Amino acid sequence: MKELTKALAVFSMVGGAMFGTQALAEPFKIGVCYDLSKAYTFATPQVAQAAQDLAKLVNMKGGIGGEPVEVIVRDHGNEPQRGIECYSKLSREGVFVFDTLSTPVSLAVLPRAREDGRILMQSLVGRGDAVDGTVFDWVYPIGPTYWGQAANDVAYIKQLHDGDLSDVKVGFVYFDYPFGQEPIEILETLSEKEGFELELYPVPLPGSDQAGVWSKVRRDKPDHVIVWMLGGAHVVASKEMQRNRIPMEKYISVNWLNEVDIANIGTDAAKGIKRGTNVVGGQDVALFKEIMTELYDNGQGSGPIEKTQDVFYNTGLAMYSIMFEAARNAVELEGLPITPTSYKAGLESLKGYDANGLMAPITVTAEDHGGGGQTRIEMWDGEAWVPQTEWISEYGDVVWDVVKESSAKYEQ
Amino acid sequence: MDWVFLSELAINGALTGLLYSLFAIGLVLIYKASSVPNLSQGGLTMVGAYVVLALSHDAGLPLWLAIPLAAVIMFGLGFGIERVALRRLAGRPVVMILMLTLGLDIFLRGTTLAIWGGTSRSVDLGVSYEPLFLGDIFVSRIHLVGAGVALALFVAFMLFFRTRTGIKLRAIADDYMASWSVGISVERGVGLSWALASVVAVAAGVIWGEIQGVDQALSLLLLKGLTVAVLGGLDSILGAVIAGIILGVVENVGADLLDPLVGGGSRELIVAAVLILTVMIRPHGLFGRHDIERV
Repeated sequence: MKELTKALAVFSMVGGAMFGTQALAEPFKIGVCYDLSKAYTFATPQVAQAAQDLAKLVNMKGGIGGEPVEVIVRDHGNEPQRGIECYSKLSREGVFVFDTLSTPVSLAVLPRAREDGRILMQSLVGRGDAVDGTVFDWVYPIGPTYWGQAANDVAYIKQLHDGDLSDVKVGFVYFDYPFGQEPIEILETLSEKEGFELELYPVPLPGSDQAGVWSKVRRDKPDHVIVWMLGGAHVVASKEMQRNRIPMEKYISVNWLNEVDIANIGTDAAKGIKRGTNVVGGQDVALFKEIMTELYDNGQGSGPIEKTQDVFYNTGLAMYSIMFEAARNAVELEGLPITPTSYKAGLESLKGYDANGLMAPITVTAEDHGGGGQTRIEMWDGEAWVPQTEWISEYGDVVWDVVKESSAKYEQ
Repeated sequence: MDWVFLSELAINGALTGLLYSLFAIGLVLIYKASSVPNLSQGGLTMVGAYVVLALSHDAGLPLWLAIPLAAVIMFGLGFGIERVALRRLAGRPVVMILMLTLGLDIFLRGTTLAIWGGTSRSVDLGVSYEPLFLGDIFVSRIHLVGAGVALALFVAFMLFFRTRTGIKLRAIADDYMASWSVGISVERGVGLSWALASVVAVAAGVIWGEIQGVDQALSLLLLKGLTVAVLGGLDSILGAVIAGIILGVVENVGADLLDPLVGGGSRELIVAAVLILTVMIRPHGLFGRHDIERV
């Protein structure tokens, strides 16, 4: 009995210490203010699910520097005011790293984040010129800008034509609002530089009526069509291409084209479609497999497993691998607790980091907050995406000219 | 000037316009009975498409069975909306009923988002994507099918309004007080118009769902549908059909001519201009009834 009492006392001390430490440890929080109900719902559920899954996995392995991580997901419905409310509320709760995944909300939050000295992650959305760390000191659009993506698409087309674009006609089909219009300047610059003919085809929102556009494309016969649209608009476009007998191989999409779109187009009908991507798609990724084993096989996934079979889930894993790696760097550099300044230093010490094998290696510096902006072109072969290029980041000078020009205007 | 291409734009514009008409017929049906433009017709169209998908994709029914079954369900939904929501507002200002239909549209969008999520889904009607050329002119098969459905519905409603029930609906549209006084159930008539509009919404939802996929964006068809209904005259089904063709041709050909001049975006401007000019110049539309009130 005496021994049992002693054992219980030891157990309670050790247990108390363990649980006490757990209870006291302040988690490293990331505020995920997403549009989960309006315009970005084609991607945000998958990205948010990936963020939550990765946070669970990190915590299962002991957190970061012994501290747990927490991903706080809130809906802002793509409304700037609600995005600001989300930012303000979570700021009061001690959050200093934010991810909005929405251009209008990112634009609204950006000036506040800069003023407050909080980190705004804005991969794939928001101001492209925010890669210029000399101006946008607290903003990190890690990954390619739309300018960089479009430039890489042109580089790919150049590869296909043995380095000579003088007799090539490139069509640009785009949503006729800022997201779609953004690459026009860089495409026009490259058209002059490389000598290819550029035809512009604006598509009004929401992209449901594209019949006239693709009739024109059929008549103009461009050699390649770069497409800057989202979600269901790709489905409409590809159906119109089929109706107009335009080969699917001509289609080069922006990164926002996923497996759901392919299923809606039809896996066979979509054969030949290409997309520029900044992440590795598919499930043959070590981190993905680990999440399946540790979480989904044990019923601990953060959402339906179907959402994980999507390139946007991989995009989320890549984005949050980077964010957690930056937190680890921050702890290594300046110890606990992680502060906005140490986290910023953590981000800027990412060197050749490949986001757990999900991205081309990125290197973030105080000047370049984009990390290199590499993409590759993949083609749907009826069953899977097949890479058509290595990871590339071309026309850096042209892209940075546009970045510098734009960021200089912002500074004024 | 490439006349062949312009002809192609005009023909495909007319076909697209008839798809707008398909949507607008639902608006006209409700306006005829209750003098209210139903701002939730977009939401009903979206729900119609989702119900077809729920029955075909989720429950595994064949599409030929899922579509009529969805029509029956939507018929009941239309009646239910009138019974539960609209009837309570009898005698209230029209603007209150208008706001109710707006609220209903938001409610329907939110409900579908909660149940089926925001991911776009496809309807496969089995219409071939092979191009169809009439001489040098390309015609879209699905638009052709949709236009056929719109015209078939137009004929069906023309015949319906000659039946006993249809005549009662026309009487309600003409003068609901007089209809009441001669024993016609105005409530049932209005309910029936909502139910029929909901059935039309299934047809529009399936065709537009095949073209653009099924998601919450389907409800945005309201702008074009409303423009067509206003241009045709809000209480004229024939007007909706003709106005659809006009709007489709004008926006398709007009956008091709104007886009190079203004740098894109003219399609929406044309639609907006048609709506504004109609309201300013001919508020009762091309075929709508022009009531003169004694004051």
